[in-house]
Amino acid sequence: MARYIAKRIVYMIITFLVVITFTFLTMKLMPGTPFKNQNRISPEQLAQLKHYYGLDQPVPIQYLHYIGNALHGDLGGSFQFGMRPVTTILAEKAPVSFDLGFEAVIIGAIFGILLGVIAGLRRGTILDYGTMFISVLGISIPSFVLAVFMQYFFGVKWQLLPLAYWKGPEYHIMPVIALAVGVVANVARFMRTEMVEVVNQDYITTARAKGISSFNVIFKHSVRNALIPVITILGPLTAAIVTGSLVIENIFAIPGIGSQFVDSIVTNDYPMIMGTTELYSALLIIMIFIVDILYGVIDPRIRLAGGE
Amino acid sequence: MENILEVNDLHVSFKTHRGEVKAVRGVNLTLKKGEALAIVGESGSGKSVTTKAIMGLLPKPAGRVKSGEVLFNERDLTKLSDKQMQKLRGSEISMIFQDPMTSLNPTMTIGKQIMEGIRRHQNLSKADAKKRAIELLELVGIPNPEERVKQYPHQFSGGMRQRVVIAIALACNPKVLIADEPTTALDVTIQAQILDLMKDLQKKTNTSIVLITHDLGVVANMAQRVAVMYGGKVIETGTVDEIFYEPKHPYTWGLLSSMPRVDSKNSELLAIPGTPPDLSNPPKGCPFAARCPHAMKVCTEFMPDYSDVSDTHKTACWLQDERSPKVEPPETIQVGGDR
Repeated sequence: MARYIAKRIVYMIITFLVVITFTFLTMKLMPGTPFKNQNRISPEQLAQLKHYYGLDQPVPIQYLHYIGNALHGDLGGSFQFGMRPVTTILAEKAPVSFDLGFEAVIIGAIFGILLGVIAGLRRGTILDYGTMFISVLGISIPSFVLAVFMQYFFGVKWQLLPLAYWKGPEYHIMPVIALAVGVVANVARFMRTEMVEVVNQDYITTARAKGISSFNVIFKHSVRNALIPVITILGPLTAAIVTGSLVIENIFAIPGIGSQFVDSIVTNDYPMIMGTTELYSALLIIMIFIVDILYGVIDPRIRLAGGE
Repeated sequence: MENILEVNDLHVSFKTHRGEVKAVRGVNLTLKKGEALAIVGESGSGKSVTTKAIMGLLPKPAGRVKSGEVLFNERDLTKLSDKQMQKLRGSEISMIFQDPMTSLNPTMTIGKQIMEGIRRHQNLSKADAKKRAIELLELVGIPNPEERVKQYPHQFSGGMRQRVVIAIALACNPKVLIADEPTTALDVTIQAQILDLMKDLQKKTNTSIVLITHDLGVVANMAQRVAVMYGGKVIETGTVDEIFYEPKHPYTWGLLSSMPRVDSKNSELLAIPGTPPDLSNPPKGCPFAARCPHAMKVCTEFMPDYSDVSDTHKTACWLQDERSPKVEPPETIQVGGDR
């Protein structure tokens, strides 16, 4: 197991480096410069600016320079914010996005699994059809539509919940629901399919033949086995939700990292683009790693195959 | 000897998209204490459904017992609630399944799977339950049980897994053990080992066994009595000797002749022509009439009653009626006439 983990960590680092390199290169291929009003400044001024930000050197040198600094934990300064260190900006804004994302994923996964289990166990009944109907709705309705809808009813019309901002627990409710609905829908559909499959397995009959309670048959035997494939989608889903909350952050005026990212791309804020991408890809890589480890925890066959 | 298990006029139906399938249509069985009863018959004859109904393991909500009773120690199991049935299952009546490759939970250790039933039915501490699990593994002949309890099913071979399944079934010293084709999925060499093990354990624990099989060799080896099922009904029942040497029902004749024999002059493998009846629309008369070489007009119209051939031997066939012509069993089975 230790060897497997060590191997995986090496791969993770390589993946990360590849992502950084590609991002750096494609970023440099983008048209434009970070400098606004370019046509109003003289070529000398431009050259001076470029020199100041180190953009006059060849791309490979810039790249090596960047990597060298990054290894010391220095991701440069954001062009938009007067060279304020990117790491500081990320440390300030990322926790908000992560909060929102993880809350949505955890709540979404719990409800999704529960709904999937119920639908799978009551296959072919109204409960099943109802759950799947809601699930299809959840997948097809974009989160921002739901967000605006909720804002209108709960925020404006009935004034039950704060309309926007990110100040206390009650501010979390609407954005988290808006994001979680998609997760619930996806997880519920997967979970239902797996449950339907698992409850027809012979080992479930064996478990029932032992006379153990229905609760234990469902949770110790069925759900655990049905979870294995569902966990696969949870990893990428988490990364997508945590990083993809951009629109929701905008709608609810949440000071997260999402809108920051878009701004930095629009303004060619190279260090900020790099920093955000690095954060996102690190998150995705770590999530996939966690999923693989979880796999082994749940399914002993995978654990042993990996250990050899 | 008293009957430990009695099935009286059991009817089981399944709801399907094509309508109601009457899988079991009035089955009567008795199992005496310490006895092994074999239920034989081809696929779809209702053997497995009968035992699932006894265990209360019919797939819900599609399958249900329509009428009849299952008496276990004078209690009608079909009238019990789910909770009461759970108490009985695994402790008083337990079951061994056909395919050991799929009948164990792949994500749970063998030890846990054995302990689950023990902990549920007997007031044992975790440590004692584990001790008992190790004892059981030893009993079913798994070497190095202290290590093996910590392992997962995929670390066991098919034969070893079936031993584990047997250990699970025997965990709480059940009075009745139902074995649904316990050797069908195993290698021939392993089959013999598993049968020997079951026979041995039956002697040690004096458990009554219901053995479902379509392997007549297994019947001869294990059982004292046989019930032959066809089309959801028991069409002949008797002691092993009676069924093997004096079979009365043409279906039993067919079943016996289709068993390949080493000493047979006829090297061709015999089969019963035709297919079993469609039980979503079961025939009015004898279910075997359509395939029976001796079928008469009455056979397709009326189901015959059971007639007693001896105290222990019964069959439901119009040929037993005194008005019927005398029909001799085919010589393919008379070859085995010497006991």
